[in-house]
Amino acid sequence: MSTKRNLVLAGTTLALAFLVACGGDATPTQAPTRPPTEAVQATEASQATEAPLPTDTAAPAAEAQQFITWYQYDEQNEDPKSDERVGNAYLRKTIPLFNEQFSGKLTWVNQPQAWDKMTLALVAAVQGGGEVPDLMHTGSGELVTLYNNGAVEDLTDWIKSMPWFSDLDPNAVQACTAPDGRIYCVPVSEQPQLVFYWSEHFPNGYPKTPEDFLKQAEELKQKNVYAITYFGSTDFDGEGTTRYFWMAVSSFGGTFDDGQGNMRLNTPENVNAIEFMREIVAKGYSPEIVFAGKFQEEEPMKTAEAASFPTGVFGYRYVNPLKSPSGKEYNTKTEKDMLDAIEAGDVKLSSFVAPEGQKPSCGLSVSGFVIPKGAKNMDGAKQYLNWIMDPQNNPDWVQAPGAGLPALGSIRAAQTFQTTFYKQAIEATAGLCKPWYGSLTKLPDAKKVIATAIYRLIKEDPTADIAAELTKAQDEYNNNK
Amino acid sequence: MTGSRSSSGVRIRQGFFSRTLPFWLLLPTLIVLAAVQFYPAFYSIFLSTQEFQAGNMKYVGLRNYERVFSTSTFSDSLFITFAFLAGYATLTLVSSFVVALFLNRKLRLSSLYLTVIFIPWVLSDVIVGLVFRLFVVPDYGLLSSFFADPALFGPPNGVSILTTPPPPQVVPGIPLPPAPALIYLIFASAWKAVPFTTVLILAALQTVPREILESASIDGASAFNSFRFITFPLVLPTMVVALFNLTLGGVNGVGMVFSLTNGGPGTATEVLSFLLYTIGFGRLEFGRAAALSVFMAVINLALILFTLRLSRTGRA
Repeated sequence: MSTKRNLVLAGTTLALAFLVACGGDATPTQAPTRPPTEAVQATEASQATEAPLPTDTAAPAAEAQQFITWYQYDEQNEDPKSDERVGNAYLRKTIPLFNEQFSGKLTWVNQPQAWDKMTLALVAAVQGGGEVPDLMHTGSGELVTLYNNGAVEDLTDWIKSMPWFSDLDPNAVQACTAPDGRIYCVPVSEQPQLVFYWSEHFPNGYPKTPEDFLKQAEELKQKNVYAITYFGSTDFDGEGTTRYFWMAVSSFGGTFDDGQGNMRLNTPENVNAIEFMREIVAKGYSPEIVFAGKFQEEEPMKTAEAASFPTGVFGYRYVNPLKSPSGKEYNTKTEKDMLDAIEAGDVKLSSFVAPEGQKPSCGLSVSGFVIPKGAKNMDGAKQYLNWIMDPQNNPDWVQAPGAGLPALGSIRAAQTFQTTFYKQAIEATAGLCKPWYGSLTKLPDAKKVIATAIYRLIKEDPTADIAAELTKAQDEYNNNK
Repeated sequence: MTGSRSSSGVRIRQGFFSRTLPFWLLLPTLIVLAAVQFYPAFYSIFLSTQEFQAGNMKYVGLRNYERVFSTSTFSDSLFITFAFLAGYATLTLVSSFVVALFLNRKLRLSSLYLTVIFIPWVLSDVIVGLVFRLFVVPDYGLLSSFFADPALFGPPNGVSILTTPPPPQVVPGIPLPPAPALIYLIFASAWKAVPFTTVLILAALQTVPREILESASIDGASAFNSFRFITFPLVLPTMVVALFNLTLGGVNGVGMVFSLTNGGPGTATEVLSFLLYTIGFGRLEFGRAAALSVFMAVINLALILFTLRLSRTGRA
């Protein structure tokens, strides 16, 4: 009898505990939301009265409100060897300035996050009902994932009511637009892909056509120099798709989608591009390390063993120290090395090669901000965004955390962007770049499927039928999306 | 009367308490188990039938399972996982057994050897993976020129551990023989696992009664026969426990793959646990990741039953 009672008691208690545990979780069909705070209500009021600039926003609170950001940068990290030193230094300099300007209204607190875990951290926080920041620095490549997981606020109405909206590059706005046609991020900086090359290895400038490239690559090979190094692995879940693979495919006139949300890889243009990439590998014009992953493909560019390196414009920060073909060293081990080499004319920037009749193309991503669902201080986030978009503050942001070119057209004329590096970058990419994903919506899946297919064709099985492999890959994506 | 009612009430309470005492003692553990084991397990099963669409969960039935199982990556990953497990468990057990036999011979400084040999075990998977990776980074790694020697590893450029694709498949659709990177991953994983397994086996070897071995020797048994008919059967149950530990660790471990090969080259080292990690935490496809995790739970269960069966065989 007592055993039965014990069992009943145990069962009931466990069932209760289980129900409590389930009940404690957020309703799974809806992302958790918090009750509107005063700040949010103030935001709604300020939207109604269309007050975009910090000085015009809601009446200052008696006490400064905390405003929390997530950046991949950490103002506390003063390590000069840190890959993220530029962004770290920017925050170190800017946080006190901001807090001084917004004294009594806002106190900016940054919570640094690992760059490749930010999206996951935000989605987990939103879905799990955890603490979310008021603003997160992110790239357009993460937007669809954030949107699919219901982690970000729709900013369409607000952003369109801002005075700086009309100055934004439409391509940048497009990159911040989710599949439902609404705008979910604020683009601040554009990060196009381009080619960094050693001018000594290409004394007549970077080749314009694939034929010209292959000819010069053969000549370089005779001198034990690789014509090109690039991200050729399937590492980081197919990151290569967004870089060299897309640059080559789009420059050959190809795309990865059909404009209707389906993947379409088997096209003559894509096949031609892959044949070109395949030839580069087969003839040894690129080093083996391009397939090693973990960004180790940068190494031959640093020592000029490779003559060119297609990557994002932000690549200047990471490729250092440098040693030119003639032995000149740029050895501060900071982003200054690449900028100095460009200033000295040792390294130049160019668009990629394109067949006769085609214009070279390149990938485009946008760096900017999202406001997470459940942000406590949305008003603070919007004031901060307006502050970032102010011509006084925008160039610094674009140059440092943004690591790219201004999304605001008028800012391109700012003194900051008149250096050789920026002039060449703007010239090499003007009007040529577009996001790799087109109308695709399952970007992480698409990225991996495409990178794996291209990797197989150019490296793993260079005799495989290109059209058949591409069809197989596109079917796998389309059947599982 | 009052006193009598009162003492009877106390007795009833005491009786109830003593009868339900085991339950109350077990309750904290049961609650913890429910919170950290049962709830996540049931939630994973629930999640495997859902999909996030624009922030809303939608019931999709078994579609997530279909999506996982229909990809070529999954079938490749399954074979790669079994190849990895077979290589890892075999290499670790054999190496550990040999090392344990040596250490059991009471060599000079054998305690020192035991301490030194235990070092890999205390290192984290990620650190071991990174160090092994640095050895073989193409062109720059300490051992890359050794592996690139065509005389030793075949023309034209030998082997580049991290980038050489797997040899052509013997059976189409089955990604075997393995890529050099998978063999290297097995080696690195075994290097880390050998110390613990060695200690387990050494402990078992030290429990083999010396008198039995001496009797066998007096009866004319050779060293090999003593090993085969006395030592090995007595150590076998411990080896089964070690195998159990290795297979479960091998199926579920992801740190070494993450830091050493990151699944590459291509998908040549993409074991199931790594695939689960990338689907769940890379692509944030929680529904599909949950479906894969349920499948992996079934594999784990099968492995547990298999080793338990082996264990019974060992005892018999």
